[in-house]
Amino acid sequence: MMLLSLLLTPLTAAGLIAMTRRRALMELFHTLAGLATLAAGAALVAQVWNGRTISAVGDLFRVDTFSAFMVAMITFLGAVASLYSVGYLRAEFNGDHLPRSRLFFALFHLFIFTMLIAVTTDNLGVMWIATEGTTLATVFLVNLHQTRTSLEAAYKYLMISSVGIALAFIGTALVYYAGAAKAGEIAVNWSTLRAAATSLNPEVVRLAFVFIVIGYGTKAGFAPMHTWLPDAHSEAPAPISALMSGVLLNVGLYAMLRFKAVVDVAVGPEFAARLLIGIGLLSLVVATAFLVRPRNYKRMLAYSSVEHIGIVCLGLGFGGWGVFGALLHVFNHALAKSLLFILSGNILLKYHSAEIHEVRGLLRTSPWTGALFLAGTFALIGLPPFAPFVSKFIIFRAGLESQPWVAGTAVVLMVIVFGGMLASVNRMLYGAAPTELLRGDVSPGWLAPLAANLALLIALGLTLPPPLVEALQRVLKVLGA
Amino acid sequence: MRVDMSAEVLSKAVNVLAFLALGLAILLIIRSRLEGQVRAFGLQSFVLALLCTLIAVYSGSLELFGVGVALVAVKVVMIPRVLNRAVANVGLQRVAAPYIGTAPALMICGGLTVVAFYVMTPIAASNPLPTADAIPLAFAGVLIGFFIMVNRRRAVTQILGFLMLENGIFLFALLATYGVPFIVEIGVFLDVLVAVLIMEVFVYHIKDNFDSIDVGELGKLKE
Repeated sequence: MMLLSLLLTPLTAAGLIAMTRRRALMELFHTLAGLATLAAGAALVAQVWNGRTISAVGDLFRVDTFSAFMVAMITFLGAVASLYSVGYLRAEFNGDHLPRSRLFFALFHLFIFTMLIAVTTDNLGVMWIATEGTTLATVFLVNLHQTRTSLEAAYKYLMISSVGIALAFIGTALVYYAGAAKAGEIAVNWSTLRAAATSLNPEVVRLAFVFIVIGYGTKAGFAPMHTWLPDAHSEAPAPISALMSGVLLNVGLYAMLRFKAVVDVAVGPEFAARLLIGIGLLSLVVATAFLVRPRNYKRMLAYSSVEHIGIVCLGLGFGGWGVFGALLHVFNHALAKSLLFILSGNILLKYHSAEIHEVRGLLRTSPWTGALFLAGTFALIGLPPFAPFVSKFIIFRAGLESQPWVAGTAVVLMVIVFGGMLASVNRMLYGAAPTELLRGDVSPGWLAPLAANLALLIALGLTLPPPLVEALQRVLKVLGA
Repeated sequence: MRVDMSAEVLSKAVNVLAFLALGLAILLIIRSRLEGQVRAFGLQSFVLALLCTLIAVYSGSLELFGVGVALVAVKVVMIPRVLNRAVANVGLQRVAAPYIGTAPALMICGGLTVVAFYVMTPIAASNPLPTADAIPLAFAGVLIGFFIMVNRRRAVTQILGFLMLENGIFLFALLATYGVPFIVEIGVFLDVLVAVLIMEVFVYHIKDNFDSIDVGELGKLKE
């Protein structure tokens, strides 16, 4: 029941907004929907957190703790981004461009809806359909500003993601074939496959997983399939960038992990671990090469997502506590990255440029934005007392035990990124601001929801509350790690 | 509605049709006019629908029959119509400009087919279904579709490459498992249809912005 209201809220909101003609009403529906989705999400998470699973509509939907983990992330960051969007769109479009605002608000909730379907269904085919749906829902959002560059980014995003996800379908069909030999048509359900995993044909499963990693990895931003990501994430309007980098990448990762849980049983954990360590290292290298000296701050944040998804892959590959750290890092990175992307919207509105060399004196012109941007950057590059420090520490602690060379290389790369990003942000924060800029943040009131991100980043950096640790361990159990 | 048909007959018929589908993918490479390419895609989809019906009759699956009908509706009727509309609306540029010429492109297709057999033969061998022999052909279709996407500069041809890749995947699932469950197939068709409609809008946007549908023009975003 809770699950259905969670899914129907954003869908209904999208429909209502699409039919609305007045801006005030649109904003009202949008805000209410963001909060209502969060409330429904929280209620669902509360039901499942203790390890129960909930099913609905026959065996179509099934929510376990791993789904709940994703639902928590989607609805929480979705609510933060939706609150900020209202102020962002008002400032960006000065109250004009009503059709574009309508498109934005409606697609925003459709986007949330497709992500929620992807993480709550038990049917791997439906999960695939919903994941492709996330691309279709966001492609016009990437092109919202309708410039040449946003057009290019959106076209690339649509084509590359669609091909990637098509390859994931081959993987899904292969796994289904392996399972159907044992369990019949019901093998399209993850829970059935998981139960039958020991008896699946290992050769088929291995090939299937390669397709899954390429396919869903394209959505998750794994190098070398990441080429669309910096374009799309930097061209999209800030609240959407925040959700694409903070949440959507993790939906791709989620889908991959569902398959990994089956594959680990069918062919042993070594196979997936080696694949993920290779991809993790490659992603880190690719991202580091750009982050040594980034020119554009939105692209900097986008490449940083490639870096962090690489770190998460390494954690998954290291195994043991590394997997725990990886899950925690997924959440911590989402908090920090969505905070920074939302702030990047404020910087863009102030300076009308995404180039780092055109942004000077940010702390002077927009004290709140600047200070928060600095705090977010500290969190992202892994300084204590912020949460990502803890999760990175756990991952590399595990890595030094199982794969010291890999972990060592990764730490060196991270130090380079650390220097590159800090230097760039430093240039933006200080210096002489362009004289024509007025002092004061753009719509500072709309930044208030970011307090929640910041509070969580600090709280989780200072302590790991035992209920959270237990919950994450239940997620690990679902994944069989 | 089970009809007597031996596994051997089915296997042969499936092989012939899968081969035909692959041939149509290669035809798309030879065709230089966009309308001809759209027709090649429509024909390929029709061949897949025949294959689907054949397997539906053999296995007595009503659902699979429904999938065949949906396939005709979406990929033989609707999508070619959308693409023809796009070709008509962008006018002039009907000649499809590849990066690599026809002769080397055909050799690459041959190479991709060999790769497909290399990767998929073990999978086909372990599969007991009478349709399994043609699995490598389906995968070759996927690879060739992908090649068309990267080799062609025209947005419309890229879309066709994507659709052929999608067709290859559909065929692959059909041969390996007699198709994934009905609700999934229908959902996939819906996704593809929406994707093509969105791509059509992008063809117009690209045309308006660059006065051409040459995606080679899209090169602004760099590091």
